Order: sequence, then structure tokens, then C-alpha cells
Amino acid sequence: MAKRVLIVDDALFMRTLLRDIFTAAGWEVVAEAENGLQAIEDYNRHQPDLVTMDIVMPELGGIDAMQRILGTDAEAKVVMCSALGQESMVMEAIQAGAKDFIVKPFQDSQVLEIVERVCGD
Amino acid sequence: MDFSKYRDMFLNEAAEHLQQMVETLVAVEKQPTDRDGIAALFRQAHSIKGMAATMGYEATARLAHNLEDSLDICRQQDSIDTAQIDRLLAGIDLLEGLLEDISAERPERDIDAFISGTLDVSILELDRPEIIPHADKTAPVAEEMLIELRLDEKAAAAGPRLLVLIRQLANFGAVLKTSPTEAQILQGGAPRKLRVWLQTDQSREQLQQQLRKYSELSDVLFPDEKQVSTRQKKISQIAPTVRVSTDLLDHFINLTGELITNRYSLQTAAGEQNWQNLHEGLGQLTRLVKNLQHQVLQVRMMPLSSVTGRLPRAVRDLCRSSGKEVQLKIDGSEIELDRAILEELTDPLLHMLRNAVDHGIEQRGTVQIKAWRERDQVLIQVADDGCGIDPEKIRQRALERDLLSPAQAETIRNYDLLQLICSPGFSTAGEISATSGRGVGMDVVKTAVERLGGVLLIDSTLGEGAKITMKLPLSVAIIRVLMLDCAGMLLAMPIPRVLQTIEIPPEEVQTSGKQLVISHQGELLPLLSLRKILKRPKGPKLKLLPLVITEVLGRKVGLVVDRLVGQREVFIQSFPAPFDRLRGCSGGTILGDGRLMFVFDLQSLLEKRRG
Repeated sequence: MAKRVLIVDDALFMRTLLRDIFTAAGWEVVAEAENGLQAIEDYNRHQPDLVTMDIVMPELGGIDAMQRILGTDAEAKVVMCSALGQESMVMEAIQAGAKDFIVKPFQDSQVLEIVERVCGD
Repeated sequence: MDFSKYRDMFLNEAAEHLQQMVETLVAVEKQPTDRDGIAALFRQAHSIKGMAATMGYEATARLAHNLEDSLDICRQQDSIDTAQIDRLLAGIDLLEGLLEDISAERPERDIDAFISGTLDVSILELDRPEIIPHADKTAPVAEEMLIELRLDEKAAAAGPRLLVLIRQLANFGAVLKTSPTEAQILQGGAPRKLRVWLQTDQSREQLQQQLRKYSELSDVLFPDEKQVSTRQKKISQIAPTVRVSTDLLDHFINLTGELITNRYSLQTAAGEQNWQNLHEGLGQLTRLVKNLQHQVLQVRMMPLSSVTGRLPRAVRDLCRSSGKEVQLKIDGSEIELDRAILEELTDPLLHMLRNAVDHGIEQRGTVQIKAWRERDQVLIQVADDGCGIDPEKIRQRALERDLLSPAQAETIRNYDLLQLICSPGFSTAGEISATSGRGVGMDVVKTAVERLGGVLLIDSTLGEGAKITMKLPLSVAIIRVLMLDCAGMLLAMPIPRVLQTIEIPPEEVQTSGKQLVISHQGELLPLLSLRKILKRPKGPKLKLLPLVITEVLGRKVGLVVDRLVGQREVFIQSFPAPFDRLRGCSGGTILGDGRLMFVFDLQSLLEKRRG
């Protein structure tokens, strides 16, 4: 069965890019969310295997959204998407429970390596 | 690998947390809805749990977790009751015991009785795997392994990557330590190389296999532990350590610089035989050394609060067991003393406090601990507003115990009578009070204070309470002494032991029975001859007898010496074995002319003579 992913990013461009990478690799994209609040809602509805989460978003940021998701599902696998220069925020996210991170700009192979590793076992 | 360094760090930090928890609990009891207090307690239990689990101290972690759970309930209720506080305090006591076990490298003591007595065991069973993540995996013996990870040069965001790797490794075992530490990584100091000490049952091959998934890694190495561990051993032997502010270190550097300059000017002055410059240079040297001494002593200083912190808890327990209401006030806990002195004060303070609550205060009252500085001494006073010490009872007991002759019992002043409660053998266990027995420890207290070169003074007015004061030197190593001459020997007596120095004409010496005495400020003081005590021949007749008035076994005496030489600050060194067993001599110092001066302790000199 195909693995299911929820993509969270406020930029349409990034969402589309990620969707294409995932779909090409045989994943099912269950939903795309534009902000943290929507991400929480989508997570609860779809219970995906993985979430890719942008850090800086309107309404509710990625770290807060992840924490709320982890609050309801401690097993949630969240991978942060960050730009270069956001290292301290990424570290904060990892401390808060993010499983891994992807640094933009990213390449297909990198993204897939990371998410498969996270979902691996 | 050598674990002891981390163990010591763990023990210190955990002990600090426990200490703070006790303080907070005692404070929270008076204000049971103190949210912040309860939250702080919760956090501290949580930290101890985390540290203990990391170190693999299972019972400690489990107990801390149990306390954390109880505190979580309090946190949700926003309040804490006495029963909960009792249980938490008992748990903290047990944790302290566990720390002792760990420190003594014994197996941890059993905690099941404590836990099962109160908490639903099923919850605990569920939680266990979380605290000790690998308790179940230890079937193949978990070994400590050092892994070195090197990040590929192209890997972006080294810091976050290292954090992820540490977490990944934590899935395979317990991460004992990392270099750099997580804190360092979080602060942005992320190199491309990470060393992880992992306790794991996985083989190197298995770990390598797992880590192969990380293309960000250029290398996974397993360096030879031996090199690392011997280096670590060396580090761990440098204990104990003190934290010193960088300001102070800067001062040292400046002083060192000035001393170097001073050395050159002295050298030049000596070479030119320029006495004026030499003289000035020496004056400067004196100032610099004094400054240096002051700064160095500063490093050893710690506030009194480091030992008074435990006292509120002790008072609380005493109140609970005796049903009394006692308020404890502490003033001057910021006063600083040499750490060596503070360490010796813990027990004496507790004894004094216990005596005040047990015997001084009748039903409700206040115990006040006050500390202040008088020149180069620190005074610490424990005062209660209870019933005071009854001099008649002391007189009675002193007679029974042969501490006073009937004649002395008649004439002794009340103040001097009070000092007798510190005599060894004044009280024996099981009398006066069922709880602790008056005088338990008072001779111990006195001995401890005197060993530090201080004195203990007892004052009390019947019906108005008692005041016990310790006069202590600021530092044990450098003290002010009174120098005495006796049969050509130069001897020193710590200044706090000297009550007064006087010179009297020989005609004023009277006899009382076999004892030579003088009348001084309305009381009769027995005279002791230092020459006689030291078995020296009799000295020449003097026009004026130099006397040092001091205390022996709580009684004032006049010590006759040949000459009072003067006061001086000296650096006292204790003698190496076997000379450290010389009784009556507590150390020595080397004088400017190379002579050795002994610091003598009159009390133990007399004990030796008796024995």
C-alpha cells in the first residue's frame, strides 16, 4: 500500500514541487495545508504516515502545529522543511519532536531519502 | 570508558535539585496554592528523572518519575496538601539515599515499598519502558561504545543534522554523552564531527548498517576507546572543582603582572644597592601580596545559605513530630565563609537548631539564625525565644557528674555555668528529653567550632530563651594568631581563642586550695603555667606576669606565659603524618627568619597531661 503524506506549506510553489516528488515516487498525497491550523485539522482527518511541515507560516507556525499534532498523536512523523539560515529554528523543532528536516532548495533524491528513512521501519 | 566524571556531575546536580525541592516544599506548605512553586517542583523531579535515566540508574529514575507523577496531579489541582508534602519529602529522602548508594557504587536500594504503598502500580508498569527505554533490550549485554560520525562537507545545516543523528542513535541504546554536547550544538557550535558514547546491545555492524541510510554522513568510525578513556580518567581525577568568575581570574592576571614588574624593580634596586627603592619596592610587594591573598580567599568563599538551606526542612520535621509551632528566621545567609568551614558547620547548626526546638521552645515560638561579620571573624547565632536554660539544673547536674566541686558550684557565675552544657559527659542519651536528649551534640558542636579555630558562647536568661553563638575565623588556612614566648619557644594561639591579655604583678596571685588563682573582673580565675604544661624548667621571676585569658572546657582560665610577643596573620599548615598525631599541636607556620612556630591547642594539651 502506498504511503500517505500530508504536505504543509504556505507557498503554492513549494506544495506543488513536493507533491510532484512524492507522487512520482509512488506516495499518496492525502492533503495540502496552507497553515498550521489547517494542518492540524487535516492530520486528524487523514492520519497520514508522514507530514512535511514548513516552519514559518501564517496563522499558526510549523513548530506549534507539530507540537499540537504530537499532543494528540505522539507517534506522528513530522519532517520540517526549512530554508538555509533557519538552523536554530530547526533545532528547536527537533527538540520538540520533529523526526528529521529537509533544507530548501531540495532535490528529489534528498527528500525521498529522508522521508523513507523516517518511515523506514 | 570512565563514567565517574558524569556520575559526579549527576550526583551534584541531582543533590542540588533535591535540596531546592525540599526548600520549595517547605515554602509551599504555607502557601498550598502556589502554582509556580508546584510547577518548579514538577520540573525538578522531571530533571532528576531524565538525568538518572540517562545514567542508567533505574530505581532513581523510577522514583523520580513517581514523584513527578504525584506533582503532576498537584499541578492539575493547583494545590498541594500536607499528606502529599509528607509523601514527597519521604520520597526525596529515599532519593537522597539512592544518591548515596550511587556515590558508594552500591546497587540502588529498593524503592518498591515506597511506590506500591501509594501509587497504582499498573500505571508505573506502563511507564517503565519510557523511562528506561532499553531495560527490555538488555538481554544481550548492553555495552558502552564510542561512535564518531563525520558529516559530509556538502551536508546542509550541520547543527540540526547532528541533533537528528543523536536522536536516531538514542533509538539503539542510551546516549551517555556526546561531544559536542547538545547544548553546544544548540548554541550554534556545530562542527562536522560528532562523538557519541552509546550504551547499546547492537553490534558495530548493525549500527553501521542503520547509519548507512544517512547520505549526509561521510564516515562512521569506532575509535579506540582506550585512548579516550585514559584521557577522561585524568580529567575526572581533578575533582573537586570550584566555579570562579572570569572577573576574578582577570584580577589574578593583573596581580601577577604587577608582581612581575615588582620583582624587576626589586632586582634592580638590590643590584644598585638603592635602599630607598628597595624599601619602596617591598612596600609595594606587601600591598600586592595582601591583595592576592584577599582574592585567593575569595575563591574559597561560599555563602552561609549553602548550609542553612536544609534547616527549614529540619524545623518542619521537628514541628511535625513534636506538635510544636516553630517559625524559623534566617538573617545574613549571604555572609561568606571559607568552604572548608561551611562544610564543618552543617551538623553543628542542625544540633543547635534541634536543641532549640526540642528544649528551648515550649509550644510555639521562633528560632532565629543570624550571621554577621565582625572584622575578620564571622559570628553565627542560633537564638530561641523559649524557656531558656535553667542554671540550677545545670549546677545540679555538674555536681552529679563531678564537673564542679561543691566549692566551685557555690561561686561559679551563671554565665560560666551555662558553658558547662558543652562539656563532654554533661548529659547522656535518654535523659531530659525523650526525643533527642539535651546536650546531644553540644560537646560535639563545641569541638567542631574549636577545631576550626573558633569559640562557642552560650547565653540564656531563664524564661527568655537561649542564644548560642559561634565565633569563627573567615578562613582556616590564614588566621590571626597571638604569638607567645615560653622558655625560648615561640608559640601561637588563634586570636578567637584569646579572650583577653593582661599583665599582673605577682603579688596579686592568691591561693585557693592547691590552686593558684587571681581575681579578675570580680571572679576568680585559676592560673595555669604554660611552662609547667610543656614540662619546661621554671623561669626567672618576672616583675609582671603576662597572662592570656582563655577558655578550657567552658571555664575561663589565666595562662601564664613568659612574654606576649604580638599578633600576626599566619598561614597555618597541618603537619604530614606521623606528626599530625602530635596532641596539643594543631599545625605550624614558618616565620620570616625560617623558624617554625607551632600553633597550640590548650585544651588537648591538658587532656594529654591528664591521660
